[in-house]
Amino acid sequence: MSPELLYLVVGATIWAVGLGGLLLVHHMLRRVIAVNLMGSGVFLVLVALAARSSPPDPVLQALVVTGLVVAISATAFAVRLASARAQHSSGTPEVERPGGDES
Amino acid sequence: MNYALASLAIPFTVALLTLLLQRRSEANPIVPAITVLATAVSLVFAGLALETQAVSGAVSHLNVGGWDSPLAIRLRLTPLKALLLGFVALIHLLTGLYAWRAKPKIARDYWPLSALLHTSLAALILSADIFNLYVTLELLSLSAVALVCLSGPKAYTPALYYLLLSLGASLCYLMGVAVIYGQYGVLDMTVLAGIMEADHSTRFALLLMTAGLMLKGALWPLHLWLPEAHTYAPTPVSALLSGLVVKGPLFILWQLWNNLAPEALAREMGPLFAAGGVVALVSGGWSAFRAPFIKTLVAYSTVAQLGYALMGLGLLLFLQERIYAVALWLFVLAHGLAKVSMFLAAGEMQTLLGSKRVTAMRGATQTIPITMSAFAIAGISLIGMPPTGGFLAKWSLLEPLFTQANHWPWASGVLLGTFVSAAYVFRAIALGFYQAPMSREPRHFDRVSQWLALLPALLVGLMAFAGQDLIAWMAGVTQT
Amino acid sequence: MVDLAIGLILVALAIGALLSSTLFGSLTLFFAFGMLMAVAWARLHAPDLALAEAAIGAGLTGALLFNALNKSPPEVIKERLRHPLSVALVCAAILALLVVSLLPSLDQVSPLPPMVGPRMDASGVDYPVTAVLLNFRGWDTLLEIAVLLLALLGVKVLLPTHTPAPQPWSLLLGWSKTLAPVIVVVGGYLLWRGSRGAGGAFQAGALLAAGAVMLRLNHVLPEIRWSQLLLRISVLIGLATFLTVAIATASFGDGWLTYPSAYSKALILAIETTATISIAATLTLLVEGEGDELQS
Repeated sequence: MSPELLYLVVGATIWAVGLGGLLLVHHMLRRVIAVNLMGSGVFLVLVALAARSSPPDPVLQALVVTGLVVAISATAFAVRLASARAQHSSGTPEVERPGGDES
Repeated sequence: MNYALASLAIPFTVALLTLLLQRRSEANPIVPAITVLATAVSLVFAGLALETQAVSGAVSHLNVGGWDSPLAIRLRLTPLKALLLGFVALIHLLTGLYAWRAKPKIARDYWPLSALLHTSLAALILSADIFNLYVTLELLSLSAVALVCLSGPKAYTPALYYLLLSLGASLCYLMGVAVIYGQYGVLDMTVLAGIMEADHSTRFALLLMTAGLMLKGALWPLHLWLPEAHTYAPTPVSALLSGLVVKGPLFILWQLWNNLAPEALAREMGPLFAAGGVVALVSGGWSAFRAPFIKTLVAYSTVAQLGYALMGLGLLLFLQERIYAVALWLFVLAHGLAKVSMFLAAGEMQTLLGSKRVTAMRGATQTIPITMSAFAIAGISLIGMPPTGGFLAKWSLLEPLFTQANHWPWASGVLLGTFVSAAYVFRAIALGFYQAPMSREPRHFDRVSQWLALLPALLVGLMAFAGQDLIAWMAGVTQT
Repeated sequence: MVDLAIGLILVALAIGALLSSTLFGSLTLFFAFGMLMAVAWARLHAPDLALAEAAIGAGLTGALLFNALNKSPPEVIKERLRHPLSVALVCAAILALLVVSLLPSLDQVSPLPPMVGPRMDASGVDYPVTAVLLNFRGWDTLLEIAVLLLALLGVKVLLPTHTPAPQPWSLLLGWSKTLAPVIVVVGGYLLWRGSRGAGGAFQAGALLAAGAVMLRLNHVLPEIRWSQLLLRISVLIGLATFLTVAIATASFGDGWLTYPSAYSKALILAIETTATISIAATLTLLVEGEGDELQS
């Protein structure tokens, strides 16, 4: 079993674990982790595909760099949004209904 | 192509400029003016691009950086893309004008964010590279979520769900891209279109990308995040979200199946899309009928109306007749205009009637006639009655179905959808004709905002007068 | 053998990060996952990517998550998974289909890598990945910096979360004063080396941001405000330069982002330097910037 093949399968597995996690877990930070796992899985697949040619495919590696920056941006926004939500919804997990602020 | 790029670069530049101008904490009065003006200029450039493309009927390509294919990212301009660029700019112009007039004042971050939303839609429309499309999808989602957050803490929960689902969806799409690159080694759609084969890997990659795009586009059955997000957003933002943002992923989906996918796979997928469309029409319409709040009603009607678009796509793939492409894009245009009108009218009603409930519309024909007409005309277009654009779209969908007896299930699906939309639209309009309660006297009228809500409704309301010409022209535009 | 072990541990850490009984445990496992992922990438002949993953994927994401953990209320309700078995089965089925779809790709070759080599001379940089990022696929990179800016704008829209600033740890305080100049130097070195070897704007930007975050945690860095022109310029300059180049090349040159060959080296250096500044500033604010700092 070549390392490329191995990591290809591992990447796919991590992506699937992240997908399952996104559907299953509830805490917002855990969901953020789930999304990040999906991202890491795809990136590992891309890096493994890049390694199939020698020297490694620079196009795929560049895509991974782009993907990483996009991922950190989105993660940062999601995490900060989760913090702001936890602080400003005053502990009630229930969604405020639009009728609540009716005049 | 340069006109199209100008239409993209102008809002981009303005977004950076307005951010640089954010000196103090209070709003800068020139910022809305600059942004609206830039949107208008961007609209003019999109119009020029459309004129050039439609006259020549040609497709132009640009390899970014001047590198040769398939290494470079390729931008592609077709008449349909030029038309959509103009549509995006027009909707931004209308909502921008409304936001400018809005009382209380909209948060100052609305302006750079909406300009960036405009930019990302333009980039999405022009791109013909499946990885570049992933980046534009992320741009689109992040700007949409940030705009939803402008409403304050009550919008945080729906915004967070929207963001997380949307990220998951992007990563499904990206995994599809990885499979395709693994198989074919290129990302350029124009190259891929010629070499894709109907094998297992391709099918699964397309399915992954489709699932991600359907989630982002709120296409049934992956629409659950939409109503909350659209309801809680500020009024001009709801209009942008319903009118434009969900159409971005839909456009990629159309390119994926119409241009990229091998015909055998597309035929397989067609009935599924069409069936999903029928279910969306009925279930979304039913939820809209039961919605307690005006904005929720309008948001659910987006889910229902997207069903028509999905049906158009499905029938196009399945029956391979060009008229369905016309129907699909007429729906998108008519729905976009009608939805902007409806959301702006709903926002106006919330301010004027002081309530978010549908029942508050009682007597609205007497108290706020202009706003109510906007709502009514837009609603009639959503149902698809003549002489509106909605009718035109529905007619191009139904006419070929009627000619062949074995297509009756699809035709009855469309008719069932019509009944459901008629139910939720008339429920709201009928309330407007009741005797107005005396205590609810309207306050602070703003005629301009009311007319702004009416304008897109009038546009869509009169589309059918151009009838056959418009259909023929659209048939030319959607050719490529 | 080593790879098999790494792969198995990666999957185990991923599952653990989702299901660990405490949030703190989850975050720790996720951090370890990020670090091991970097090792895996190094094993796949991508050492520079491994550096980026360690800095961004593990370092900054970890800092963000731990920061948020301090602010979020303790987990009141323990995770109760609904239908875990059926979700697991569905995901396993998707995984099986995915693996079957990916397997044939190992025997395929892409036409793109052979195209990169002959065009390196004209690209203005010496390192293929940097050439792809800033030249061959520069449009992706431009949009990606816009994604970064949008994330910052999104955070800026949110109402501030008030939390008592954590007390700096005295040993770290001492260290960070010594480390700060080192980080700046290393960041600059990475940037310079990016054009000729592994490294580049993103790694450099991320490293600078990591340094700035550390200094901010220790209150060494002065207070920052969005109303400061210098801050706004640092955040926007990368995108502004890139966009100016795009517009200028489209109006006066050979087309959107087509660098004139005589100037390509200089243009890329300008874009890369300004992008590094913007990436560093934006990432710092994303991780550490507080609402009121961003609003006034």
